[in-house]
Amino acid sequence: MNYDDIEILFAEDSADDAVFTIRALTKSGFSNKLHHVVDGAAALDFLFCRGIYADRHNTHFPKLILLDLKMPKVSGIQVLEAVKSDPKLKSIPVVMLTSSNEGPDIERCFELGANSYIVKPVDSDNFFHAIKEIGMYWMILSQPAH
Amino acid sequence: MKKIDADELSIANREIAFQHQEKEDRAAELIIANKELIFQNEEKERRAAELVIANKELAFQNTEKENRAAELIIANKELVFQNEEKERRAAELVIANKELAFQNTEKEHRAAELAIANKELAFQNEEKEKRAQELIVANRELKNAEDSIRKLNEELEQKVIERTAELEAVNKELGSFSYSVSHDLRAPIRAINGYTRIIVEDYGEKLDDEGNKALRSIINNSKKMGELIDDLLAFSKLGRKQVTLAEVSMSDLVQSLIHDLMFEDGENIPVFKLLALPPAKVDKSLIRQVWINLISNAIKYSKYKSITTIEIGAYEEGGMVVYYVKDSGAGFDMQYYDKLFGVFQRLHSQEEFEGTGIGLAIVQKIVDRHKGTVWAESILDKGTTFYFSLPKFYY
Repeated sequence: MNYDDIEILFAEDSADDAVFTIRALTKSGFSNKLHHVVDGAAALDFLFCRGIYADRHNTHFPKLILLDLKMPKVSGIQVLEAVKSDPKLKSIPVVMLTSSNEGPDIERCFELGANSYIVKPVDSDNFFHAIKEIGMYWMILSQPAH
Repeated sequence: MKKIDADELSIANREIAFQHQEKEDRAAELIIANKELIFQNEEKERRAAELVIANKELAFQNTEKENRAAELIIANKELVFQNEEKERRAAELVIANKELAFQNTEKEHRAAELAIANKELAFQNEEKEKRAQELIVANRELKNAEDSIRKLNEELEQKVIERTAELEAVNKELGSFSYSVSHDLRAPIRAINGYTRIIVEDYGEKLDDEGNKALRSIINNSKKMGELIDDLLAFSKLGRKQVTLAEVSMSDLVQSLIHDLMFEDGENIPVFKLLALPPAKVDKSLIRQVWINLISNAIKYSKYKSITTIEIGAYEEGGMVVYYVKDSGAGFDMQYYDKLFGVFQRLHSQEEFEGTGIGLAIVQKIVDRHKGTVWAESILDKGTTFYFSLPKFYY
């Protein structure tokens, strides 16, 4: 599989939330350039061309990373930290997704250099608009690191 | 014969010589006798002089004797007086003796009484000893009790420490519980809402009106449930949130809130009458929530009035600044006033005015945490005024 033209890396462990997010992105015209992984470890493998992504070229990077905060194995915060402390990756915009605005994570995300933060609203209509807007915004603004 | 005469002459001479001698002796003796006489005369004169002195002395002694006699008379009189005094004393002594006798009798009585009293005292002493013994026992019990109290206090202190730790743990648990509720409870509701919307969007045409209506109802209800969860969490968070006070310009705050208000097409947009608002020392994010809730309430309950004004102002009263939001909306019946600030309490139906019933409970909790009060006045169909007071901020 060719991962080199992937524009959005999307890490989300909830199958339902993945359906809604992908649907929103698809309707906004980004679906064919999106890659979905189900945990932080897979996201890191993708970004650092390891494991099943070992044959991916480390000269091509996504234009946007969407990270769910709570994921098994490696959390979204850990992925964020790895991305923002890597000289090649740190300029890729990272948008954090979370189910709630509770907890101490929000501040930590901004400290680590997250570019945006979306609390997934219960109403999927609002969610759709949020994903669409934030996707468009960062995709248009984003300047690839290479 | 001549020898005899010579002898006789010598004897006569000797006789004459002897007589001469005798005469001389007599003369000498006479001289001595005269001297003696002179001495005796002098002695007599001396005696006479002494006699004169002795007579003078005698005369002095006589005068002295007379003086003594006079003194004796006085002394006798004194003696008589003293004798009388003695008799009087004797009489008094008799009385005193009688008194003494009486007192002795009395003393005997007293002694008898004392004997009784002593017996009583002895009995009381025994009693005292008994009491002392009892007191010792009681003291021992008291000491034991004190020891128990001390022990209990120590246990209590330990318990307080444990409870505090438990409470802290519970608080922490509550925090993570809130997080869980917020995170995990929202996820399935979000899924219900999302999938229903997919059905509506992708398959709505294949369903009749009834079916679509049911799906809309699912969407609205799940949305409502999400709001309830969010409001409940916001409310529970208020109790735990630290209040950070800073000077806030209430005028700027309210102005920016009104400026940021978003109205949907066809919505009844009220006219805002913003009067001067004194600054306050408050937690800005919390007080912001108070204004949002009160202003959005005023807008919501004014929506059926054709032209509506919302007045926002303030006044000072007794060291407090009272801020108010006055609408001319639906109002409410003051007999239900006690339900106004309760959690999930509503005075209007969902159909009339949507809402979760937590907004005013949040307002009250925030104002409470600022040591202020919140209250309202309303006339049904005429409008409502919400007031909240905050300690006056001197700057």
